[in-house]
Order: sequence, then C-alpha cells, then structure tokens
Amino acid sequence: MVSRVQAVRAAARMTMKIFFADPQWIIPAIIAPFIFTLVALLLFRNETGPLLLYAVLGGGLMGMWGTTVYGSGTSITFDRFNGTMEATLAAPVPLMWIIGGRVAWNTFIGVINGGIILVIGTLWFRTGISIANPLAFTFATVVTYVSLSSFGLMLATVYVLTRQGGFIMNSLEVPVYIATGTMFPVALLPLATQPVAFILGPTWGIEAIRKAAIAGYTGLATSYWTDIGILAIETAAYFAISFYLFGRVERLAKRNGTLEEY
Amino acid sequence: MQEAGEGSSAVDVKDLRREYVTRSFLKKTTKVTAALDGISLRVARGELFGLIGPNGAGKTTTIKILTTLLSPTSGSAKILDLDINKDMYEIRRRIGIVFGGERGLYNRVTAVENLKYFADLYGVPPSEITGRVKKMIEMVGLEGRENERVEKYSRGMKQRLHIAKALIHDPELVFLDEPTIGLDPGGARDIRNMVRGMKKDGKSIFLTTHNMFEADELCDRVAVISRGKIVALDTPAGLKKSAKDISVIELQTYGADANFVQRIEKIGGVTRVVADLDSERQSIRVQTEFPTEVLPTIVGLAGDVNIIDKSIREPTLEDAYLRLVEE
Ligand SMILES: Nc1ncnc2c1ncn2[C@@H]1O[C@H](COP(=O)(O)OP(=O)(O)OP(=O)(O)O)[C@@H](O)[C@H]1O
Ligand SMILES: [Mg+2]
Repeated sequence: MVSRVQAVRAAARMTMKIFFADPQWIIPAIIAPFIFTLVALLLFRNETGPLLLYAVLGGGLMGMWGTTVYGSGTSITFDRFNGTMEATLAAPVPLMWIIGGRVAWNTFIGVINGGIILVIGTLWFRTGISIANPLAFTFATVVTYVSLSSFGLMLATVYVLTRQGGFIMNSLEVPVYIATGTMFPVALLPLATQPVAFILGPTWGIEAIRKAAIAGYTGLATSYWTDIGILAIETAAYFAISFYLFGRVERLAKRNGTLEEY
Repeated sequence: MQEAGEGSSAVDVKDLRREYVTRSFLKKTTKVTAALDGISLRVARGELFGLIGPNGAGKTTTIKILTTLLSPTSGSAKILDLDINKDMYEIRRRIGIVFGGERGLYNRVTAVENLKYFADLYGVPPSEITGRVKKMIEMVGLEGRENERVEKYSRGMKQRLHIAKALIHDPELVFLDEPTIGLDPGGARDIRNMVRGMKKDGKSIFLTTHNMFEADELCDRVAVISRGKIVALDTPAGLKKSAKDISVIELQTYGADANFVQRIEKIGGVTRVVADLDSERQSIRVQTEFPTEVLPTIVGLAGDVNIIDKSIREPTLEDAYLRLVEE
C-alpha cells in the first residue's frame, strides 16, 4: 500500500496552500477564536502574577481548541467546497490519512493561534510573564498538539456520520472549554462533570502545560509526567476510535456512492 | 458478439447489478432504481473499450463500481485480475480515473501543485515527482501555463489537467467518463489524440461517451448500454453491419417544418426520422429498409418544401446505436 506518511504530508501541504490562497478561511480559523479569547482575558485584567498567566494560557489554549473543533469540520467538508469529493474518495490511501493531514494542518493553525494569543496577552497586560520550565512547556505543547489532532480526527467523522455535525460541533465548543479547564481549573468544576474532563485528552495537556509554565501551580493532584502519560494513552485511544469510525465512513460512502448525502 | 481473448483481462465483469434506494423527504416512502441490471463484459489488456448509451443508462454507475468508488448490489468484477471488493487500494493504485468536468481539481492552486499532490497520494516516489509532473504537463500541452491557478483555466485546459492527473502514476488501466463532453471540436480532438497516445503506450482504456463518431473513431470494441442493460457488444464495424438492413435517406431542405416531418414519419417502411429544423437550411435523416421506394414518396409529398439535396447512404454507427437504444 502507498506510503501513508506521504499522503498525510501531501494533504497537510495542500490544506496549507489553500489556506494561504483563500484569505476567507482566516476569519473562522484565527480571528473568531482570537476575539473570543480577548474578551475572556478582559475579565482577568485586574489580576497579576500566576493567575494572570493562568488566564493568558487559558486564552491560548482556547484558541487551540476552537480551531481544532472548527478545523475538524472543515477537514472533511473541504472537498464539498472544492468539488473534489470523488478525487479524495478514489485515492489509494484510506480516507483517514488524507483527513489526518488536513486536521494536522488545521490544528497547527490552532497552535499558532494559541501562540499569538499568548504573546498578545503577555504584551497587553505588560506583566513580566515568565514560563517556569520552557523545555517542559514546549514538550507538553507538542504532545497536546498531537492529542488535539487525534481528537479533531475523531470529531471529523461526526460530520459525515450525522447531518447535525455542524450543530453538534458548535454546541460542543463552549462546554469543552469549560470541561477541559481552559478557563477554570478542573478541580473547581462540579464533581459530576469531572469524568467528562478526564476522558478529554486535552484536559491533561492543559494541566501539563500549566504545570510547566506556572511555578507553584497546584491543579490536579497528578504529576507532570502522569499528565503526559494519560494524555498519550487517551491520544492512542482517539486514533484507534478514528480508525474504526473512518472505516465505517468509507464503507458508507461506497455503499451510497458519495459522502455528501448524510 | 465478439469476445475478448482468454487469459488475463483488464476488466472482467459478471452480472453486475446496482440499485439506488432513494427515500422521500419524510422517509415515508422508498424508491428503488435499478441503475445496472446485470451487465457482463470483458476488456482485454491493451484494448480501448467504449461504453455508449443515452443519459441515465448507467455509464457513470458502471465506472464508479469498476473504480471501487461504489459497491455493486450484486455480481462480481475483476480489475487487472484483482477483486473490486478485496483489493480496493491495490486496484486504485494501478488505475487512472478521469471524471472530468469542472470538478475534481483544486482550483485555488496551480496545475503543478495539483499534480504534485496527486502524485503523492498515488505513491509516486518523492524523488521522481518533479520529473513526472513536468512530463505530464508537456504531454497534455500545458507548458507555460502550469504555474497559474486552475480557476483561471478554460474548460479544455482543465480537461487536459484531468488527463495529466489520471496518468501521473503511470497506471496500467485508465477509466474516462465522457472525456470530451462540453469541449469545442478542437479541444475534443486533442483529448481524443491523448487517448490514442495512451493506447500506444500500452495502456488499457475504458471510456464512456455519448458521441458515436468518437466511439467509432477510437474504440476497438463498443458496448451499448440502455436502461442498465448491455444491448450490444461488438466492434464498431460489427455494430454497423448489424444495421445493414436499414439505409438512410439524407435530405437538405428549405422550408421544412414539423408538419412535413410528421408526414414523412407516416410513410410505410419508414422506421425513424431525425430532423434538425432549427437553422435556415434543414437536415432530415430518414431510416428505412426500402430507400428506393420511400425517396420518391417523400419527393411527392414535398409541395412547398424545397429539397435541395438528397442522397441514400449506408448506416453509420449512430444509426445502429439509435435503433438499439430505442428498441
Ligand atoms: N446517487 C444516486 N441516487 C439515486 N439514483 C441515482 C444516483 N446516481 C444515479 N442514479 C440513477 O441511476 C441511473 C443511472 O445513472 P448514471 O449516472 O449511471 O447514468 P449515465 O449513463 O452516466 O448518464 P449520463 O449520460 O447522464 O451521465 C439513472 O436513472 C440515475 O437517475
Ligand atoms: Mg454519467
């Protein structure tokens, strides 16, 4: 079978080229989550020190999340805009790898988006925000990126498996911000919602990022490496679920001759 | 009927059926359309095979099944001796598909970027991609325009790019669904020459068309499909021979109208009248087994209609085709 890595890379590259060729994508992908975040940041404008860093990081992470959720939808509906559904479905690589390449690019935009929000947030509040452990911070960010991609890949199938994909995604966005502790520490959430947070990989990514960034941060009672470990396991699970769901999507597409009808 | 020789085949289809189930808006009623009603055919390696038929006959459905995009409801098909259900990805890697039209290309990026993308998807080794893309651009005559966005391309240029895309991984078998539809005569001729070039390169080709001239000119053998069934399968010459019992009277007239055409239709022994009344000078074709008796009758009916030219000729592939699909 054809090299899947080659297909993933090609799909990511094509998504990037079209992203730059068509500026209208920048509005939902960057500007919208960005504005949303700035509003959230204003709520914290009187804070200083660790809590402010907490908030600014939360803003960045929200940017990452928003783009992932948005991007997972466009990764699979992309062909509808382009009229390339058949060409994509006819490729000699499983659909998951092509969509995977697109999700990888869209999530990457989310990370860039998070980075921009972080920098602007830092400049805006003009408090000397410093990252406690830059190396651990970077590592946690990269692992979170992979995890977000796997999560986005899984979400992408929802768009095909149900007509209400777009609606589900939109209604998911804010609860996910809250459940994963982007805005408030998970420990503060009602006990009933905590299990939801714990099965969402990015919860652990956010936790690890905060532990690395904020000196003396006490979130969940886990260690940095425990967070990373759980994140890795959940990411693997998302990939496995995606693999299964994409298999179903492909079989359905073949049965109906199109992806467009459900 | 002529059959492809025994041995390894490019396409081998047995009793293929495909139904489409459409549900009404409220899902209260379901309608089942039999798009393919049990078709069987074989295409030999290196053969240029044509599937011709009117709108809705099942041509695209056939191509979609053979290219593993659609599952058949029943029946079996082997592509390059591989099973369409079991060896889907292997088949896809070894075939090229031209669906054509405005769809199927990334319009926001250039031709080169499109070709590189598809080269990657089809597993062309990365070190060979640049050379392969260049070769394809030259082959389809897009040099000089290859770094323009595809959205600026004319319909004909897009179709060339579709061909380049389908051949980027040097497939053994190429499927083309109505490759010249919507092109001007020059553009259509260029595409036909490219199809001939593919055959010369040893590729097997399976194409669909509406255009009898195209089928006659290009194809080694032709299957005529009508309402999901193959109604004839032969060489173009063989199909024409099957229509030997009919002749065609061709008339060029001034002043002919629908009424005149109706009167010709009523003449005994006339099986079909095809008329083009839109221009100042009308052309009317009359199919009949008895041209020498029918022609004087028509002349006798002419009245005010000025017949400026009349001739009797042998049936073309189109005459044979029209009779088959309307039976
Ligand atoms: N997705 C679909 N759902 C329901 N019916 C379909 C679908 N696709 C095709 N059909 C029906 O199946 C039959 C065959 O269609 P098909 O597209 O294969 O014909 P075709 O020979 O390619 O026609 P054309 O010359 O118009 O392209 C038609 O009656 C068509 O209406
Ligand atoms: Mg068709």
